[in-house]
Amino acid sequence: MARRYDSSTTTFSPEGRLHQVEYAIEAINNAGTCVGILAKDGVVMASEKRVTSGLLAPSKSSEKTYKLCQHAACNVAGLTADANILIDQARLRAGRYEYQYSEDIPIEQLVEHVCNYKQAYTQYGGLRPFGVAFLFAGYDQHHGFQLYQSDPSGNYSGWKATVIGANNQSGKSLLKNEYGATPEEKDDEMKVEGAEEETSMPDVNKALQLAVKVLNKTMDATASSPEKMELFVMSLKDGDVVHKILNTEETKKVIDEVEAESSAAGDS
Amino acid sequence: MDTVFGVEYEGGVILAADQSNARSILTYQSNLDKITTLSPSSALGVSGPNSDLVNFSEYISKNLALYQLSNDGIQLSTHAQANYCRGELAKALRRGPYQVNCLLGGYDKSTGKGSLYWMDYLAALAKVNYGCQGYASNFCLSIMDRDWKEGLDQEQAVAIVEKCIKELQVRFLISQPNFVIKAIDKEGVRTLKFGADPSDN
Amino acid sequence: MFGPAAVTTDVLDIGTRQEEDKRRQMIASGGTGAMCASNFLGEPAAFEVPNVADPAHFCRSNFASACGAADSHQTVKFAKGTTTLAFKFNEGIIVSVDSRSTQGAYIASGTVKKVIEINPFLLGTMAGGAADCSFWERNLGMQCRMYELRNGKRITVAAASKLLANTVNSYRGYGLSMGTMVTGWDETGPQLYYVDDDGTRLKGNMFSVGSGSTYAYGVLDNYYRKDLTVEEAIDLGKRAIYHATHRDAYSGGINNLYHVTKDGWKKIHSIDVNEMHYEFAEEKKNAMSS
Repeated sequence: MARRYDSSTTTFSPEGRLHQVEYAIEAINNAGTCVGILAKDGVVMASEKRVTSGLLAPSKSSEKTYKLCQHAACNVAGLTADANILIDQARLRAGRYEYQYSEDIPIEQLVEHVCNYKQAYTQYGGLRPFGVAFLFAGYDQHHGFQLYQSDPSGNYSGWKATVIGANNQSGKSLLKNEYGATPEEKDDEMKVEGAEEETSMPDVNKALQLAVKVLNKTMDATASSPEKMELFVMSLKDGDVVHKILNTEETKKVIDEVEAESSAAGDS
Repeated sequence: MDTVFGVEYEGGVILAADQSNARSILTYQSNLDKITTLSPSSALGVSGPNSDLVNFSEYISKNLALYQLSNDGIQLSTHAQANYCRGELAKALRRGPYQVNCLLGGYDKSTGKGSLYWMDYLAALAKVNYGCQGYASNFCLSIMDRDWKEGLDQEQAVAIVEKCIKELQVRFLISQPNFVIKAIDKEGVRTLKFGADPSDN
Repeated sequence: MFGPAAVTTDVLDIGTRQEEDKRRQMIASGGTGAMCASNFLGEPAAFEVPNVADPAHFCRSNFASACGAADSHQTVKFAKGTTTLAFKFNEGIIVSVDSRSTQGAYIASGTVKKVIEINPFLLGTMAGGAADCSFWERNLGMQCRMYELRNGKRITVAAASKLLANTVNSYRGYGLSMGTMVTGWDETGPQLYYVDDDGTRLKGNMFSVGSGSTYAYGVLDNYYRKDLTVEEAIDLGKRAIYHATHRDAYSGGINNLYHVTKDGWKKIHSIDVNEMHYEFAEEKKNAMSS
């Protein structure tokens, strides 16, 4: 009997659950990890690149990071094929908004649009939900830099730092400890909320290091290398939003910095 | 027949419009308010047939209110509002004749500035420092060209508008006895002066 | 294919060309084109338009009578020519009209009821095409009754006049001819609106509509005060119509006058303007001799 509710996305099980949607969310938890961190002067996203075969031609620029418009980008965890459909939707929405208002779309509206699209597939009959979770990084005039995550059910939420994909639980607990903490007060739990928190936001460099640290933990590879991760930074330059995917040398540098810091911490 | 003025100044915009409605040789009313408040910090002065004028400004203002409701209280900038107006008018024009000549004035908190947009009934949009719609433009644009300069204060902007109104009353054949003058600035949209009280109906 | 935000075209329709679009679609899909697609009771769409390719153009060229001498070579001549007026004062609203209907130089009727009793609290007046006015105001009466049944309370005059304006607006360019005042008493007090065939809707204290309106305005503007007594107001309404009928060849017949109060409207009198002429002439003679 229970199988009956497995195959239909639009039917609640007697326990009041939508199994297909839950399975889709579960599928994300096995996908390559993505970390997003909000910084003082930008947003950072880092994602795990899974090397499947040495024969596979490496992608030219990015594998997990997609530019949606001049002021928004996303990271994908899950089925890339599904993601492409949603990314097209997001780009179309951003373009239409600019056409209508000749102004950048507010990030939350862009996220909400994609999520409404996802939601529809959990409700209308005969369709499979999108097996994709996103991290959205963006900038707008209303709320500055923003970071959102979304899941296959169409839920979305805004974060200062978050992880999606494989081992996201352990990644999140690391972020919880280290986000906004200076090295000296890492374990100090008596932090003051509010204004204090604002000032303790990391800058882009610190955020990159933290992101790599999280990936190191979630990827459970013995040694991290630039081939296995993609680092993305969104920041402002002269009032314009700049997207940047770090190249091999730059990525290597961040990884080395993290290693140096952890070995120094281990020594002390 | 209608007259609408707009003058930008340091930190805001002045919008002014005549208060008359006429049909053939008869003036039906001269205490109307033809400047519609679109959002808490923008207003639209429209010249054209009453039905188009009411239709258009109601459609735009309700849609802006809807935008605000569905987007967590976020408000469109004056620039975005102007482009939205343009798009909707262009769309409407493809369905049939529509005659609205507008001046859109708004204040943006983010820049601390007022801005003024001019749009004609063919949906041509331009950002201007000062502007005029209707027959009155034949008399008044030169006055504005002569007197407007960067960094006016509110009184100086109102003074330009009043000069224009005075010129119309001296040289213009059609009688426009009353004008309503509104300011849009950080305090929102408010009526500075009117010739006849619009609420007295 | 579905979309989460399915915006249909009518949402974007500022210029209410819906009727035309609907008809085009009907014709394109092989319909006869004689009837509007939808036939909801009380909807404006229940109105039938001529069975030709471009009904708007057909109406314009054959029936257009809204402006001046446009109908001089028309095959169909409309009954029109009117003086109607209404004004608010402290004791309510006076509505006063003549009763002549003309087709060109011919007086088609001298006993037209130009005040349309929409319901016990709402009156409409008739100027322009007699058929257009009575058709659309009866239609308005039905919409107002539907409102009452649906909401358990009477419609406001503001809403009623907006219904009429919206209806008329959706037939703009079809050559409708009507200039009407919608008056009544609702929860916000006495109300007076002017609605005409090009969709104009104005709220005001005093209106006069029709070919004799300029004459009526002349008297009204000079003798109107907010604090007129009921008797004075009735007299003003009566005299304004009389003077208009005297000068305007297209106005005349009987003066029908209504008074609107919080208890609804009340018909005050129906007096032949011819009798008025001698009454006022007598009055003037007496005033001069004394």
